[in-house]
Amino acid sequence: MSDNRINAYADAAHRIARAEDNLSEVEDELFRLGRLIESNDELRSTLSDARLPAARRQQIVEDLLEGKATGTTTALVSMIVAAGRANDLPKIADELVQRSAADSGVAVAEVRSAVPLTDEQIARLAEALSARTNRRVTVKNVVDPTVMGGVVTQIGDSVLDGSVRTRLNQLREAF
Amino acid sequence: MHHYHLFANLLGKANGPWLSGDLQKVAWMAAAFVVMAIILLKFGKQPFMDMLANRQERIRTELDTVAQQRLSAEAERDRIKAALADSDAEAARILSEARAAAERLDVDTAARTEHELVQLRERATADLASTRRQAEADLSAELSRLSLGAAERVVRNSLDDATQQRLIDDYISQVGAQN
Repeated sequence: MSDNRINAYADAAHRIARAEDNLSEVEDELFRLGRLIESNDELRSTLSDARLPAARRQQIVEDLLEGKATGTTTALVSMIVAAGRANDLPKIADELVQRSAADSGVAVAEVRSAVPLTDEQIARLAEALSARTNRRVTVKNVVDPTVMGGVVTQIGDSVLDGSVRTRLNQLREAF
Repeated sequence: MHHYHLFANLLGKANGPWLSGDLQKVAWMAAAFVVMAIILLKFGKQPFMDMLANRQERIRTELDTVAQQRLSAEAERDRIKAALADSDAEAARILSEARAAAERLDVDTAARTEHELVQLRERATADLASTRRQAEADLSAELSRLSLGAAERVVRNSLDDATQQRLIDDYISQVGAQN
């Protein structure tokens, strides 16, 4: 999918979420769903399978998000999947997060950890990152078992890697 | 006539088996012979003489040819003799050169063999050292792989919820402390 098309979908999602006055929830839910699709090959291939009728793929989305996401998010994802763009959902979500952050002057930090961070940990990390970057930072936590332990934060082009996986890799290289 | 018959009778009686007793027949045969001889002399002499002359000329030509061939054969014999003499000299020269080349080759081969032996020894030593280094590296890599695999299993098993939370809190503290 071209950047223009991703931007168009992200722009549409941004406008709709703002109109529904739940931009923060929508961007967070889309971000999490994007990471889930990115890491789950079976879900990604099912949602992007052109041999399945669009209605069937939309039903899968609704079953997946029922009770776990806002109606706006469900409708947006359903529309994207029906249009055959499920593979691009992670990029659309990222673009939406960037637009939302740009609107509010906030930097987005993608934080990967083996277990979910608590709200208190997210708040402390956002505060620490804000002090470090001199910008307001919002934290998007992604659970990634490959991290093993600790945290990997990407904010802009900077990566702060405190994961057990990286330490083990460093140990392997040192041998 | 009387004498003729008498003579004939005498002839017929004295001739015996080697001459016909019919003198008349003998006379006719003699006459025929004379006529035949005259005809032959008149008409056959010139062609006969020409044939003889031609034959003589042909024999002379053949003799000349044979003489030429003999001269050529003698010249060829002389040439072959000379060539044989030359070939003997050439054979001696080639033999001498071959002997000299063999002596040089012998010296060169000895020197080259010694050089190659030195090179082979150096190469074998280098190969041995390389193989030893590779084996040590492989062993080290295998040991590190096994060690790291064991370490990873130990780390993974020790990463309970409390440890995970402590790692996250430590990370947040470090990020905050670096400001």
